Amino acid sequence: MSLDAVKNATNNFENGSGIGTATASAKTAFDKWRDFPISRISHHGQMCCEAAREWLAAMDFSQLNAGSDLTGPRWIRQKYNWGPTTWQIHWCEAVRQRALDCGAQAALAQEAFEARGVESYQCQLVQQYSKEATEQWSERWNGAETSVFWIDDDLIYHEGCAVATGKNNEIKLWDASAAWWINPRQFGGYGGLRAVRIFTTPNDTAAFKWGEHSFKANEWQKI
Amino acid sequence: MKIYVSGLYCGTNPQPGVGIARSVRQAYPDATIVGVEYSNRCSGIHWQDFDDIWLQRPWEELNLDSHAEAVKKVLDAGGLWISGIDLEIMWFGDIFPDGHPNLLTPPAGALKQVAKPEVSAHKGLPVKIPVYVSTELSDWDLHAFCRQNDWKVWLKGPYYDAVRTRSWAEFQDMHHRLSSAWSTQKLFLQSHVTGYEESVCFCAYRGELLGAVQMRKRDLTEMSKTWAGDVTEVPAEYAAALRKVVRDLNWTGGAELEMVRDPNEQLWLLEMNPRFPAWIHGGTIAGYNLPGKLIEGATGVKAQAITEITEEFTRVVLEVPVRNEFPLPPLPEPFAGGIGHSLKHPSGLLGFANRLHAAEANGNGNSKVKEELANVPASFIEDIKGVEFDNVQTPSFLFLEKTASALFERAARLSKKLSTDDIQVTNAYSMKTNPDKRLVQLAYKAGFLAEGISPLEVDKALKNGFKPEQIILNGPGKWWHKEFLPKEPIHAVFCDSVADLKRVVAALETGELKSKIAGVRLRTPNIPSRFGIPIDTPEVFNTLIESIKLLPRECGFGVHFHMASSNVGVGQWWHLFESILKWCGSIEALSGRTIELLDVGGGWFPDDWHEDSDTHFAKAIEKVREYLPHVRQIVSEPGKALAQPSMALAMRILEIQDFPGAATDVVVDGSIAELPMYFFYPHRILHQNSETGAWKTLGRGRAYLLGRLCMEHDVVASNVGLPDDAKPGDLLVFCDAGAYDRSMSYVFGRG
Repeated sequence: MSLDAVKNATNNFENGSGIGTATASAKTAFDKWRDFPISRISHHGQMCCEAAREWLAAMDFSQLNAGSDLTGPRWIRQKYNWGPTTWQIHWCEAVRQRALDCGAQAALAQEAFEARGVESYQCQLVQQYSKEATEQWSERWNGAETSVFWIDDDLIYHEGCAVATGKNNEIKLWDASAAWWINPRQFGGYGGLRAVRIFTTPNDTAAFKWGEHSFKANEWQKI
Repeated sequence: MKIYVSGLYCGTNPQPGVGIARSVRQAYPDATIVGVEYSNRCSGIHWQDFDDIWLQRPWEELNLDSHAEAVKKVLDAGGLWISGIDLEIMWFGDIFPDGHPNLLTPPAGALKQVAKPEVSAHKGLPVKIPVYVSTELSDWDLHAFCRQNDWKVWLKGPYYDAVRTRSWAEFQDMHHRLSSAWSTQKLFLQSHVTGYEESVCFCAYRGELLGAVQMRKRDLTEMSKTWAGDVTEVPAEYAAALRKVVRDLNWTGGAELEMVRDPNEQLWLLEMNPRFPAWIHGGTIAGYNLPGKLIEGATGVKAQAITEITEEFTRVVLEVPVRNEFPLPPLPEPFAGGIGHSLKHPSGLLGFANRLHAAEANGNGNSKVKEELANVPASFIEDIKGVEFDNVQTPSFLFLEKTASALFERAARLSKKLSTDDIQVTNAYSMKTNPDKRLVQLAYKAGFLAEGISPLEVDKALKNGFKPEQIILNGPGKWWHKEFLPKEPIHAVFCDSVADLKRVVAALETGELKSKIAGVRLRTPNIPSRFGIPIDTPEVFNTLIESIKLLPRECGFGVHFHMASSNVGVGQWWHLFESILKWCGSIEALSGRTIELLDVGGGWFPDDWHEDSDTHFAKAIEKVREYLPHVRQIVSEPGKALAQPSMALAMRILEIQDFPGAATDVVVDGSIAELPMYFFYPHRILHQNSETGAWKTLGRGRAYLLGRLCMEHDVVASNVGLPDDAKPGDLLVFCDAGAYDRSMSYVFGRG
């Protein structure tokens, strides 16, 4: 029954009754970002950046508050607002910002998961919003003289972390700049996920399960 | 078809009646739906799907016998009844112990097995029950439960109500409120589970599972009630187990299993409600009309199929017209000068609960008060029996010598046992805990170091035998009365701020202060504290690293941290300990200084320090070795754990005033001036029978021990079970008063 409901919702979306479907259905969601690299925070190779990484890892452990290692590091989003980041950025600069974009927030979260010993991979996401939303973001990013390459009409490029649950190659997708786990049962519509690419080591052929979906490592997967 | 639906309250914590009616209307458009309510203030009576409203008087005044007759008549006439009120369902269990074919609620036997917090029926389901205790236990045991669960606990009422209690004062306040509201001491404390809330809702008829859905809360009200959710099928494994549970219970009616899914995907069952949830129509929206299925199962009349479905639902606020026959009642008058109108439970459910309690307990309203609940160590009694009370002017602190000696000796043995060739474990006695010279000397004899937060404390330690090289100087006030600092080198000094560090560095350079170890106190990240050097931003962390580089290389380097485990809980304290080790690892790597001394302040509650301490501390030392291989000495500060049990406070009863059926006010000559920690933890209390001289621990009861001071908050113990033969002049001894009660006691009201 639930799958039927999902199928209906998806069909409605593809048929044009969803938000902004005319644009979204006309091309593959991830076309613009097919070869876009994942965000990496640079290291000066000096103590300044090492101190920043040490601080992040120690702070993350403190913030765990005796909770599970699989808890999403929401404190990062609480400390850093979501906003434009000027790339290239180094560790010593990143941790001192007031606001960080999704790539930087995801990179910090990835560092935190790895420091905890949790298997996690950076991932690229494509989400659908509305033209009103993306126009707002374009203005804001342009105002900060930062790139708006991440915006394509009503679609946006986004980054997060694919965190292994430890069971049957299952992963959960942590949206670091929203501070929530992306719902694997939700499709299309405002904020809906349209495509995913999980970065592992090059030439890795691993497969992951996310809810009812299967992903191959390093390949874009349309949702 | 005529269907009675009860529980129409539609406030912020709504009952399910309106949702049930909407679903029933969808399944059976031509059915007659009668809304049953016990207050005309419940706004659900105005909902359009009800063809008629059967309004009863509120529960607290309702004639239950005649109402039972009326319900039976309705059922016998072919009406179906779906109840949305837990207490009504329990009452039906008494009225119809074997059920009624048209009564779509569970039988009495099944209800017993879903009673919270145990929910014994859960066995077989893939869920766990969060740990819990009844509040009938002693305060001492309840405080221990809160500590063991890191103060992440919920105080829950017998049927409804759950409040988070983050401290002992909060617990006492809420315990008093809830036990008064529900007229029972039978509340319970349950551990919090962090995670996402979800439910399984099902319906069954005579043990046959008719349908079930899983709902995840996707938006919550301030009270954590569902505001939006998504609905799917119940996973096969869960459904199979549920089918068996339903069969074993011979369940009839709706039900909801409220659960939390933790980050490791474990489900924790909070409660199993014997009725449909308020969000039940959300299930219908998603294609699972469980009220319809229930009626279909009971009557065989096919429900109308659902055509439009979506997996997610949400709520909105709607205004609906008021029925002419039930005009809105006036608002109650606010109490003079009060705030608000006191509109909770308009149908008198609290009164109904009290009537049910009274029936259960043969009119007593409560089970017998348990006595002698708290275990007082035998050494306490032995020490107290040795006191010549005729010569004791009360109130007076009693030094429990044998108890104290044994505790200090045990601590000394433990440190010796834990020490290895490469790491020496040493105790330090925190002078501020209780500077009584008997305790200070016990510490000295047991090989402790002395930790002072002022030169005056250092001086007192020196006067009681300690050598300068056995002194640790700590805290923000180390330069207050600096003339008392020894000229010889002390063991260690810890800097409380960067400014303090610069001052210490200067003093070390000029010879004003000499110390073998110079180090820093770290401010605990993520747990508020005013002490130590902060590390919770990259900027201040860098400042700390740079400052550490200023400390003279001739001194060894050390780190101190302190957080009272009694305040943050045992599990959280151990996590904090490991967290500090990680920070220390980073500090070593970045500052180039290796840590030789780790000073761990504990603030341990005595029972927590003693329980499995060998194992816990052995593991801790292994952790230190793993993270900080250069550490040569670990200093442990078990001051509170040793001092608190080492003294008691004797006081006498001055007068007793009994208010029959309510409380007993007992005025004593002690006060919060001698027990300033009363607000932070409970004390075990002994009463001496003046005839026999026998000592007895006091359990829970209805006496309030009021201090001698003319101060409103001078209440030294609440809900105490004083013996019937207690009288003025009797002795009371408050145990566990040897730490900050003693050292922070003050002179007040003595002229």
